Amino acid sequence: MEIIYAQSGIISVLRPGQGILDVSNAGFENILLDFSRFCSPGELEALGQTSQNRAGIRQPKSSQISKHPPELPHAARPLYEQLQKAGLSTPIARAPYLKTDTKRKDLQELLFLLAQESIRVCGEAGCASILIDPLFSGIDKSREWDANRDFYLSLAPLAREQQVKILLKNQCRDIGGHLTRGICSDPEEAASWIDKLNQETGEERFAFCIDTGVCTLCGQNMQEFALSLGYRIQAVLLRDLDGHRESSLLPFTCSGFERSGTDWLGLMRGLREIGFDGSLILDFSTTAAGFSPLLRPQLLQLARAVGEYFQWQIGIEKNMKEYKSRVLFGAGNMCRNYMKCYGDKYPPLFTCDNNEKLWGTRFCGLEVKAPESLRELPQDCAVFICNIYYREIEAQLRDMGLSNPIEYFSDEFMPSFYFERLAAE
Amino acid sequence: MLQIGVQTKNVVYDSYPEEGFALLKRAGFSCADFSLNGYLLNQNIYQSKINSFFDRSVEELEDYFTPHKNGARAAGITIHQMHMPYPNYVPGGSRELNDYLWNVVAPKSLEVCAFFGCPYLVIHGFKLAYFLGSEEQEWEQTERFLDFLAPMARERGITLCVENLYDNLGGHLVEGPCCHAGKAAERIDRMNEKYQAQVLGFCFDTGHANLAGLDFEEFLTTLGNRLKVLHIHDNDGISDLHQIPFTFTKTRENRPCTDWDGFVKGLKNIGFQGVLSFETAPVLSAFPQVMKADALSFLARIGECLGNDIFAVR
Repeated sequence: MEIIYAQSGIISVLRPGQGILDVSNAGFENILLDFSRFCSPGELEALGQTSQNRAGIRQPKSSQISKHPPELPHAARPLYEQLQKAGLSTPIARAPYLKTDTKRKDLQELLFLLAQESIRVCGEAGCASILIDPLFSGIDKSREWDANRDFYLSLAPLAREQQVKILLKNQCRDIGGHLTRGICSDPEEAASWIDKLNQETGEERFAFCIDTGVCTLCGQNMQEFALSLGYRIQAVLLRDLDGHRESSLLPFTCSGFERSGTDWLGLMRGLREIGFDGSLILDFSTTAAGFSPLLRPQLLQLARAVGEYFQWQIGIEKNMKEYKSRVLFGAGNMCRNYMKCYGDKYPPLFTCDNNEKLWGTRFCGLEVKAPESLRELPQDCAVFICNIYYREIEAQLRDMGLSNPIEYFSDEFMPSFYFERLAAE
Repeated sequence: MLQIGVQTKNVVYDSYPEEGFALLKRAGFSCADFSLNGYLLNQNIYQSKINSFFDRSVEELEDYFTPHKNGARAAGITIHQMHMPYPNYVPGGSRELNDYLWNVVAPKSLEVCAFFGCPYLVIHGFKLAYFLGSEEQEWEQTERFLDFLAPMARERGITLCVENLYDNLGGHLVEGPCCHAGKAAERIDRMNEKYQAQVLGFCFDTGHANLAGLDFEEFLTTLGNRLKVLHIHDNDGISDLHQIPFTFTKTRENRPCTDWDGFVKGLKNIGFQGVLSFETAPVLSAFPQVMKADALSFLARIGECLGNDIFAVR
């Protein structure tokens, strides 16, 4: 599973040096090559319109790319070359796309040309996949599949030539400013689109990217979403928002009433169940825009930690599987949750706890021992800390001179939960 | 023409129910959604504060509701649908509480429904996916409950209707039980096949659908004739406000931000012949008391208008 940073908000297209340095220093290794940076949704919206500059001279609102799509490779080349020079890979790209509330119903041909050029750059830059949003504006509901079928199949030969996989993405539909479920928001329909496209091209040329922001705007159960699409999901666009307005916030930064308003639990459960091992694309451009440039290096480090946390949570079983034997530390709710969800599959030898009243008792079928008993463990037996005071406990164990592997267990996103928590620990 | 209904909450009162039904008739309604859930409020159930209303025997309940039944009949109002108190299971609630909801409140609700000659009883599916781990497992529990009620429902000629619900994630209202039309259709068919009767149907709630951003037309079309009753109301897409349809806009163009076009198309697609029933009791507490009759008339007029649209596009 790889973490990809969606560059928007940090890396300036005109002067990318500092942004690339910050991203690189934060430890990111992969960047989304986002062609909408060269031809933005706003530019597409304004195409053909003019505006007055300060001197009162009327000038076109759009730049070169929307008028001359073949200029896209030329515009994008300096950026991806600099990224490559800094050792950053661009495994996935994103083609220019329209605003969700676009008024433009006349840009289907242009979007096709831009997608074509984007695929060409992918070939040059070594991007294995490209996110190309389905066409929606100006298309009658009854023709959505036909129009998109033609659109994607027309792109397929070039994608094959450039060895690029095309990723479809779920979209919102704007109803008087209310964002509701749009094209590919029904996961079963999206799966059937992917299957039909692949069948017609005779190869696995198409796959899917879940946009968590769209799922959140549409109030969708992300577990069900992931399960319906299954192996077709090759990327997840990770972003948070308030559930009502478009934005791209760093995951976990949009919470209310002491709980996130985004279905991260469903996402984790779903991705685990399908054995997801694709790309996690972190998009927090709205958050980044709110931060001072002076704080962006620290923000990027936090973002990377968030990406790694997702990686770890989704692959939580991997961690347990790695060890032949394990013991737990903690005899409370977290231990109980471990035993409920993983006790049979990855049984611990025993658990231990700092509360001496518990020593010698049994908890969830495990003997509760004193921390001192950990000294008798074989060297390769891992200690899984089942208590939120992770770092303090880890320090305690290291101070004891314990050299066994120490791992953290988390019950924040469990496959299932007890109806009640145990009384205060 | 489709008939038009509205819930009885905030209109029909126990002390003089005939007046409330007469008011509904004057406002232009011919049907009512009897708010049985008003006798055991959901917020109280969640707090384990259970009143003694359903401790009454079936005969006592029938006596209690005889004036209501007579009042409706006198006014020419048909009790077309009824809402069972909810939830019927409280996660983490005591065994006594959940036993009472399951074994006392639910069967007695069916008895009251039968007493009114009401063909549809709306129930809420259990909200357990968080604990159990999946929507499928959540539905299994709801189905156990339905299996308990289905023989009684069949005997009384009542169709239980599950409703699309929302759930709450840190204040963000998102899809809850029964928000997947395909699954709902399959489950309803399976249940009815099992009991060889129309024991289960669907109640489409426009407000909840709007909160979960559902595609109204697609949802209704998939449900087809399994759709038995409606809860029509509007909101801002953020909170479950139960307000007047067409009320909410979000842009300078001032177009409705609820998919009423999709609603009309969906009902048209399936040839809906049921009742356009509003679940808009909060409207009546929001408007000044002196405007209650006007507010009800306006709702009935909206129902008429929706009905005309449904027929117009057929």
